[in-house]
Amino acid sequence: MVDSTWGTQDGPRDVLGPVAGEPAFDDHRPPRSDIVDDCVHCGFCLTTCPTYALWGEEMDSPRGRIYLMKEGLDGEPLTASMVRHFDRCLGCMACVTACPSGVRYDRLIEDTRAQVERRFDRTPAQRALRAAIFALFPYPRRLRLLRGPLRAYQASGLQRLVARTGLMERLGPTLATLESLAPRLGRVTAPPRLVPARGTRRAVVGVLTGCVQGAFFPDVNSATIRVLAAEGCDVVIPSGQGCCGALSVHNGREKEAQRFARRLIDTFARAGVDHVVVNAAGCGSSMKEYADLLRDDPRYAEPAAAFAAKVRDLSEILVELGPVAPRHPLPLTVAYHDACHLGHAQGVRAQPRALLHGIPGLTVKEIDDPEICCGSAGIWNVLNPEPAAELGDRKARNVLATGAELLVTANPGCLMQVAASVRRLGGEIALAHTAKVLDASIRGLDPQSLLQQSSR
Amino acid sequence: MDWEPATADDQVAGVPARFVAAPASTAEAAEVLRAAAAQDLAVVVRGGGTKLDWGMPPRRLDLIVDTHRLTGVVEHAAGDLITVVRAGTPLSELDFGSQQLALDSPLPGATIGGSVAANVSGPRRMLYGTARDLLIGITVVRPDGTVARSGGKVVKNVAGYDLGKLFTGSHGTLGLITECAFRLHPVPPARAVVTRTVPAAGVGALLTAVREEQVVPSAVEVDRPPGGEVTVAVLVEGTAEGVRDRAARLEKVLGGHSGDLPSWWGAYPWQPGGTGLKLTAALSKVPDLVGAAAETGIRGSAGTGVLYASVASSEDAPRLVERLRAEAVRAGGHAVVLTAPAEVREAVDVWGPVPGLELMRRVKDQFDPGHHFAPGRFVGGI
Amino acid sequence: MTSLEELAAALRAALGADRVVSDRLELRTYECDGLAHYKVTPGLVVLPRDAAECARTVSECVAAGVPFVARGSGTGLSGGALPHADGVLIVTAKMRDILEVSPADERAVVQPGVINLQVTRAASPHGYYYAPDPSSQQICSIGGNVAENSGGAHCLKYGFTTNHVLGAEIVTPDGDLVELGGRAPDTPGYDLLGAFVGSEGTLGIATRVTVRLTRLPESVRTLLAAFATTDAAGAATSAIIAAGVVPAAIEMMDALAIEAAEAAVACGYPPGAGAVLIVELDGPAAEVAAQFAQVTALCEANGATELRIAADDAERALFWKGRKSAFAAVGRISPDYIVQDGVIPRTALPEVLHRIGEVASAHGVRVANVFHAGDGNLHPLVLFDGAADGEAERAEEVSGAIIDLCIEYGGSITGEHGVGTDKAKYMPRMFSDDDLTTMQLLRCAFDPAGLANPGKIFPTPRLCGEVPRRHSAADAPAGAEIF
Repeated sequence: MVDSTWGTQDGPRDVLGPVAGEPAFDDHRPPRSDIVDDCVHCGFCLTTCPTYALWGEEMDSPRGRIYLMKEGLDGEPLTASMVRHFDRCLGCMACVTACPSGVRYDRLIEDTRAQVERRFDRTPAQRALRAAIFALFPYPRRLRLLRGPLRAYQASGLQRLVARTGLMERLGPTLATLESLAPRLGRVTAPPRLVPARGTRRAVVGVLTGCVQGAFFPDVNSATIRVLAAEGCDVVIPSGQGCCGALSVHNGREKEAQRFARRLIDTFARAGVDHVVVNAAGCGSSMKEYADLLRDDPRYAEPAAAFAAKVRDLSEILVELGPVAPRHPLPLTVAYHDACHLGHAQGVRAQPRALLHGIPGLTVKEIDDPEICCGSAGIWNVLNPEPAAELGDRKARNVLATGAELLVTANPGCLMQVAASVRRLGGEIALAHTAKVLDASIRGLDPQSLLQQSSR
Repeated sequence: MDWEPATADDQVAGVPARFVAAPASTAEAAEVLRAAAAQDLAVVVRGGGTKLDWGMPPRRLDLIVDTHRLTGVVEHAAGDLITVVRAGTPLSELDFGSQQLALDSPLPGATIGGSVAANVSGPRRMLYGTARDLLIGITVVRPDGTVARSGGKVVKNVAGYDLGKLFTGSHGTLGLITECAFRLHPVPPARAVVTRTVPAAGVGALLTAVREEQVVPSAVEVDRPPGGEVTVAVLVEGTAEGVRDRAARLEKVLGGHSGDLPSWWGAYPWQPGGTGLKLTAALSKVPDLVGAAAETGIRGSAGTGVLYASVASSEDAPRLVERLRAEAVRAGGHAVVLTAPAEVREAVDVWGPVPGLELMRRVKDQFDPGHHFAPGRFVGGI
Repeated sequence: MTSLEELAAALRAALGADRVVSDRLELRTYECDGLAHYKVTPGLVVLPRDAAECARTVSECVAAGVPFVARGSGTGLSGGALPHADGVLIVTAKMRDILEVSPADERAVVQPGVINLQVTRAASPHGYYYAPDPSSQQICSIGGNVAENSGGAHCLKYGFTTNHVLGAEIVTPDGDLVELGGRAPDTPGYDLLGAFVGSEGTLGIATRVTVRLTRLPESVRTLLAAFATTDAAGAATSAIIAAGVVPAAIEMMDALAIEAAEAAVACGYPPGAGAVLIVELDGPAAEVAAQFAQVTALCEANGATELRIAADDAERALFWKGRKSAFAAVGRISPDYIVQDGVIPRTALPEVLHRIGEVASAHGVRVANVFHAGDGNLHPLVLFDGAADGEAERAEEVSGAIIDLCIEYGGSITGEHGVGTDKAKYMPRMFSDDDLTTMQLLRCAFDPAGLANPGKIFPTPRLCGEVPRRHSAADAPAGAEIF
């Protein structure tokens, strides 16, 4: 190119020299170059990116990460520095919301992460930590052991796996928060298989019980089921659902995620439901992407697409159906927090607010910087405890600034993360899932019942 | 073109010139300055002559370049709200019909070039800004006779360095301004002035009240005669309906009344030959400055923090200048002695401390390496 | 070790390892700003946290004779922050503290990496805002705004960055920290701040900026008017200005730009419109009410096919969202595009738009028009497919022809994006050699060694050693010889 910078001289010196090493990506689902090319480098994503907010460095921004992908596609090797920046992405998808050019960064990072997991040699310590996490989280029964008396956990054999990796220390704050949040049930009773609609039946829905939700917040699942039934749904709760694969897919464990997805598709296929209702944002967003996850699977591609089309967040289905159950007043001031995987990944923002506004006496406050992730991000806060705490504190300060007495959100991870930070800041706020607020209103419960689950 | 020998009137702050040249075009001006440079002449530019006694006297002076033939409106593009005017045109002669160049001129007879070079401003700077804000293009002749232009004839333009800003307020030390392009504003159909006179201690509350009220004044002026109370005067301009409503609200918050512009409006508080200071302050400190100026009195734009004071007696001048300067500095601003009799100028620091002086000297050295233009008139002896 | 490696070592020692980037892949992420078709991998990237670190970085560069380029958020559209291959890219993104918000002084003091919109967000609880609003205000930095003298939609009424910056602490190209301007107006001496703003990083780096805060308007009313043609919309614009109304903003988008914005953000503009105008009035309620009636009538008189008045802040935000997303949104309707930025006298608008259309169709490319109609600042978006044979070259030709049109009609080659790398070649078409040489005198005063952002703005750099010998008065011949 001859232009004013170089005049008629040669272009700038190539300071880098030739590429060394094997290209970053192989042919099995590399990040799509056509999507990479959609990025016009405008930078509108930068300020919504949590890691850019923390560090202000290009390579830890969506624009920079896309640039790194492009470098990889151009033949640069998968170096430790490249991987570090991919790993640091929380996957909150705020950039997807912010992008005026419609770049599907979610697709890019997912494919990139799968390549990293397959092709990059992590250090033994990193490998062990990840193995421990994935031996634990996607398995509701193993998770439940963490809740009970320590004895059970010690007896489970899980300890040997987990102890060496330092996972328990990393989980410490989270677990402490969990304990303070989760109602102290002796055992978690499994929900019934079917709860019939109250009044006229308007739909037949299945409910995902989830891993963390099922293990630690069974009351949220109960509330979800009651609300759906009250709004005229026959609610089917198939047993043996297992994990939806969200954590796996968000961390590049493609095969594992596909395995989980197939199982869940089969489970709900047998249930014969109109919709599959999810009350955890992260699960819902990955279930809506099953068609993409299983696109190369000749047997499952079609059922996956059909399944994905049926998936609804609880708030979506309730707004679609429209309210029939009368609401009782809840004279409370609440702050509504958009979980990233509900707001950014699913675009569900108006519905939960509409539902909350539909409760007489309830005041809904907006939180500053709503687009910025709280730092929970699946297992990101376990892998990156320090920056996660910083993000959590930022979010907690904004939450506390609303003056609300109750924080409402639709994701268990966010609730735990923000609660831990509120506690660290010495503040206090009660926390509840949207389902619990609606349930309390429909059942005419004492508003005080919602304020009992507190960060303190 | 012809040069004339100087007459007894051709002085700059008491320094006599040897010649006077009055070019009628940029080209003629370039010719004059090329010749002057070749002869190593010291040059001072003169417009209406209203501010020749501002600043320090030139260290040396050979030639006065007078702009009285460099006059007229070159272009008035009404649809584009711009004009191009030659530097020697008196501000008072500009007539753009339903449009205006919103630059107040405190000194009758001042020219465009002089007003830009000395960066004078009046009450309405609060809404419209000063010369630097209104100027969109400039043509200058450098001391070596080179003609240079920056900016253009469109309001929005970021091509190249903004030499217009550099020349605004440069007091003729960088070259001769020959043409200026300005953005214009529509003349508002209606206006009102609301005034209230209070003891100095009450000024702060009034100014805060005006600011709180979202009436977008064109000017917020104060006037305090020596030892007297303070009059606050607020100008609003706009549509007839809008002005009626805004003035009514101001009357309420000020507890004042609407009327015509007060007699002191937009005029400097000193007499010709007197000592006049320009005092600036951070907005929140304007009431402090007004309060501290009981002895001298003070007047000016409380809405922007640019005020003026007069020192009546030459004997007291050094003491009062130092006191006012200390007050201005405490208020986050500066104090400059704009004009003063010779004996006062010699006794005080006219410009006061100037940050960034080293860079300014380097700018001067680049534009006027021979130090021909108004040598010694400006800050730091530039 | 090369001099850059030595410099990197010195800067790591001075500032800490986390401020210096030298990893090959990380460096490459900085190789372009918002104008992504110019790419140069920087020799080194440094991210100072405060003024002292920034000054230290520049000092080390000066000592090593290494050029440096400042970069804020990297959103510039003229390649102003294009790195230097043998130089240091100084990124201000970590200098992002809002140091002070003082409503009583109507000032805010911020570090250069603070995002434009954050200043407004910090000031608005006090009833104030920061008026300059580039379309990228959600991400562009104040330091970058100062370098480029950024404009925005509301500049029509409120002016540009230069009208709202009252003071700055800068690192000079010598590595010294110098204060320009201040908290009070009219600092004595040359208006070096006025010269610095818009100098595109060639006179130094701002490390702290004092900006004016503007009182929030009591009332804001926003009108979306649809027209069959850009001619009609242009006529309405002229009529509004001729009526003596100074709206806060008048923005125009043509059919293609509307299509792109609609695809990107579903802004709900009237379907089928050949052009839309967004007209915004702000100020005292009574004033706005009176003028709004006037504006509405003028739009109708000039053939508006539909008028929508924003009912609330949400609708107003939606009107603006379409406009402010328009550049990047064009990515939805075209694989590649060039954003042009030129200025013409407003009255020439219809004529110039026709000629742009002619040039575009003669070259077989599409041009979408988005612009600040109130002040004649055009942003034609030249659409092309880089993969198609010869299209990129044809688009480049159209883009250049548009700039020629701007000059022909007495306008400017850039209204707000800056000259940078991209337009240095056009400078001689707008300015004479003497003009450019004179501008560079300023450069020589600040940066005689030419280390600050070299290669930008000026197509041919001036060597600064040519200061003529200073004459003494004694050398002067008698003036009488002149007669």
